[in-house]
Amino acid sequence: MTKAGMTQPGLTKTGMIDFRDVNKWFGALNVLRDITLSVEPREVVVVCGPSGSGKSTLIRCINGLETIKDGHLIVDGQRVGDPATNMTQLRTEIGFVFQSFNLYPHKTALENVTLAPIHVRKIPRAEAEQAGRELLAKVGLADKVNAYPAQLSGGQQQRVAIARCLGMRPKIMLFDEPTSALDPEMISEVLDVMVAVAEEGMTMMVVTHEMGFARKVAQRVVFMDAGAIVESGTPDEFFSHPKTDRSRAFLSKILRH
Amino acid sequence: MMWQQFVSLAGSYPLALRGLGMTVVLSLISLVLGTLLGFGLGILRTGGSRLLSSVIGAWVDLIRGTPFLVQIFLIFFILPEFGIELDAFTAGVIALTNLAACFICEIVAAGIRSVPSGQVEAALASGLSRWQRMRQVVLPQAMRIVLPPLVGQYVLLIKDSSVVSAIGLTDLTRVGWLVVQRVPNGLLVFFLVGVGYFIVCYPLIMLARRLERRMGAAHGEVQL
Repeated sequence: MTKAGMTQPGLTKTGMIDFRDVNKWFGALNVLRDITLSVEPREVVVVCGPSGSGKSTLIRCINGLETIKDGHLIVDGQRVGDPATNMTQLRTEIGFVFQSFNLYPHKTALENVTLAPIHVRKIPRAEAEQAGRELLAKVGLADKVNAYPAQLSGGQQQRVAIARCLGMRPKIMLFDEPTSALDPEMISEVLDVMVAVAEEGMTMMVVTHEMGFARKVAQRVVFMDAGAIVESGTPDEFFSHPKTDRSRAFLSKILRH
Repeated sequence: MMWQQFVSLAGSYPLALRGLGMTVVLSLISLVLGTLLGFGLGILRTGGSRLLSSVIGAWVDLIRGTPFLVQIFLIFFILPEFGIELDAFTAGVIALTNLAACFICEIVAAGIRSVPSGQVEAALASGLSRWQRMRQVVLPQAMRIVLPPLVGQYVLLIKDSSVVSAIGLTDLTRVGWLVVQRVPNGLLVFFLVGVGYFIVCYPLIMLARRLERRMGAAHGEVQL
């Protein structure tokens, strides 16, 4: 594993995730504008903002699901987008939870959790299954080990998806609107699991509008609009005393209900 | 008269068995090779390289857009002009394998494209290599889409194999031509030839139908 980013002058003191002047365009649309953001190890950062503000794109850049156009992005000491960086290897250190779960429908819950540990980490099957069962128990699904995704509720599927990420023992977990596709009564079961993960000291970036979650575990809330980071602060600062008109307008919309 | 024809036909049964055997062996070899090649081409067709994809696409269009009889003539009669001498069986296998690969390539590519991009992203995000993504995540899901038309295609290809009689291979169709010279009852002879093909194809038709029903299942592995 090369630590190319560590040897770059001026880049020696990096966080776990380090955006420096990152820009990205979809055609003429500037979806990320001059993003500079550093996430420290064990830090939990919540990203919020109106839809189309670039928050999903932001975290999808971190594991290379989206490519950046210019600027620097250094993750776990490695430069994303550098041909010298082994992205496949870097991705094993980054768990990614999708809005639409994306569980493998042809595999059971346990097989979903053990697939990457067995094939990527080369952990012996029996050992991986043991660990997988423990993880599923930890997210409250000990009795669903052999269920297929189609047999699970949305909340259960998302918990399996989180267990699937944890199975790789990642250094970073990214969540892309993990509760947006869920029925209201299932949101808390997923958030509870995320809180537990955060309390174990995981470095996390979470795109969500769940303010209860943000207040409980986030050290920082980042507010994005039109591809730029408009405001950033502690959850209390942001939710109680938003500094900009745009964040106030956004908060008034999500708080109205 | 009719009785004599029956006796004469009954006497032709070793030839008929040989023809049936030729049709089955030729089809089997070509379908196995064509399936392997077709899956390879289908995976490359949907893989990263745009150049490779369009080269394969052009070849598939060319083969699908020309008669099989012309293809087999080109291989058997024209290649020797360029110093590539092939016996009729090899030429038949090559032509049928190529045809099978082209049709199967498109079926496989369509199956792969039907797998939601979120599946590939999930596999990508967990660090699976390109081959692992294909083998563990994409292909098993694509198979649900691929299997019914694939088996249906096998039936079409077995019937297309009758064209090899044109280059002198003694398959079931050519046996028909040979027998009809001795037994001047084309209706009866080619009725029996048809029955021969049907016996080979019908189990596959049943299999295709069964697979199509199974596709409705919401979860689990596809099992034959």
